[in-house]
Amino acid sequence: MGAPRRSMAAAALIGIAVMAAVDEIVFHQILGWHHFYDRSTPAIGLLTDGLLHTAELLGLVAGFAWWADLRRRGMLAGGHAWAGVFLGAGGFQLFDGIVDHKLLRLHQIRYDVPDLLPYDLAWNAAALLLLGIGAALTVRANRR
Amino acid sequence: MTHHHGAGAGGRLLATAVVLAAVAAYLAGAARLRGRGDAWPRHRDLSFAAGGALIAVAADGTLPGGPFTVHMLQHLLAGMAAPVLLVPARPLTLALRALRPGGPPRRALLAAARSAPARWLTFPPVAAVLDMGGLWLMYRTPLLAAAHRHPALHALLHVHIVAAGLLFTFAVCQLDPVRHRRGLPLRAVTLLLAGAAHAALAKSLYAAPPPGTAYGLSDLRTAARLMYYGGDLVELALAAVLAASWYARAARAAGRPIRTGPPPPSQAGPRRLRPEGAGGEGG
Repeated sequence: MGAPRRSMAAAALIGIAVMAAVDEIVFHQILGWHHFYDRSTPAIGLLTDGLLHTAELLGLVAGFAWWADLRRRGMLAGGHAWAGVFLGAGGFQLFDGIVDHKLLRLHQIRYDVPDLLPYDLAWNAAALLLLGIGAALTVRANRR
Repeated sequence: MTHHHGAGAGGRLLATAVVLAAVAAYLAGAARLRGRGDAWPRHRDLSFAAGGALIAVAADGTLPGGPFTVHMLQHLLAGMAAPVLLVPARPLTLALRALRPGGPPRRALLAAARSAPARWLTFPPVAAVLDMGGLWLMYRTPLLAAAHRHPALHALLHVHIVAAGLLFTFAVCQLDPVRHRRGLPLRAVTLLLAGAAHAALAKSLYAAPPPGTAYGLSDLRTAARLMYYGGDLVELALAAVLAASWYARAARAAGRPIRTGPPPPSQAGPRRLRPEGAGGEGG
């Protein structure tokens, strides 16, 4: 893997973890929209949630260690790293919106509303926007 | 109040005495090293003493919250946070360097560290199963309810939580010299799976109390959240230890001058002299 690809992968790990942290802090803690535990969550969902949650934490640390290592070797490609952050963040958001909320039914975006659809659409549209920015930054970084 | 938690006045006193003795021995060992001109970073003294203090606070048992929340705080402080402070202080390395070469205490310690049981117990998946398996038994079987009726069993559970937490942290961090060194991927995957089991167990407690117990709903939920997010902090700390040792090793591989601590002593164990996974000779 060349330096640009590595920079992108390390930064994507950080992007995933940052988005996961935003989800945890903003939607679980501050807004209180997401529930800690949803009674309709199947057991497999509980285990998967534990696995994904822990993987995000370890990914954050691994991403920063990898990033720091690339940086001290002078191998960090800045443009690709930023692209990686957005691709990671958007990828996580989309995964969370489709797999966590809809397939595993870990929890919904919000509970006390009559129609969830606008929330789901906004959530996944935000994911596509982040992915779009990541893709644009990748193209720009590759041109240089 | 907190009458069930902590193993009675005698148990509390004993736990505090053991912790004090361990911290005193650690500080004496570090002082001996410095007295003869060896380097031993001060922050390790601080880390070890802080870990000891956490166990003492947990053993004292006068913590805020309902009974299950107090129990969970104790489990987090003594079984998870304290080991993360004690183990990175490298107590085994210190003991092997401070004890007189050739003396019986040092020989016994070295023999124990290199014994077959130690080798198995410090195999990360085994340590993880002992730690997380113990928690699953405690919270998902009537064990905790039985412990409320039998003080001796309760004391044993507390001892197990601390011992298994120390063992797990020791096996995953692998900072002290052990005979069979395990690779980073195995230790990282073990940490991942153990963290997942801990998080899933915490969420399951939110929905259903340990069988046979009658904790209040808000007590149960506070404890479950505490376990989940407290576990996160400890996992982050453990991951940071692994990442820092990987970072230092990557620098060594690149031939840069690094090293914050003292060089490993010649007799403290075959650190890095042996290729990883070269265990198994002699059985």
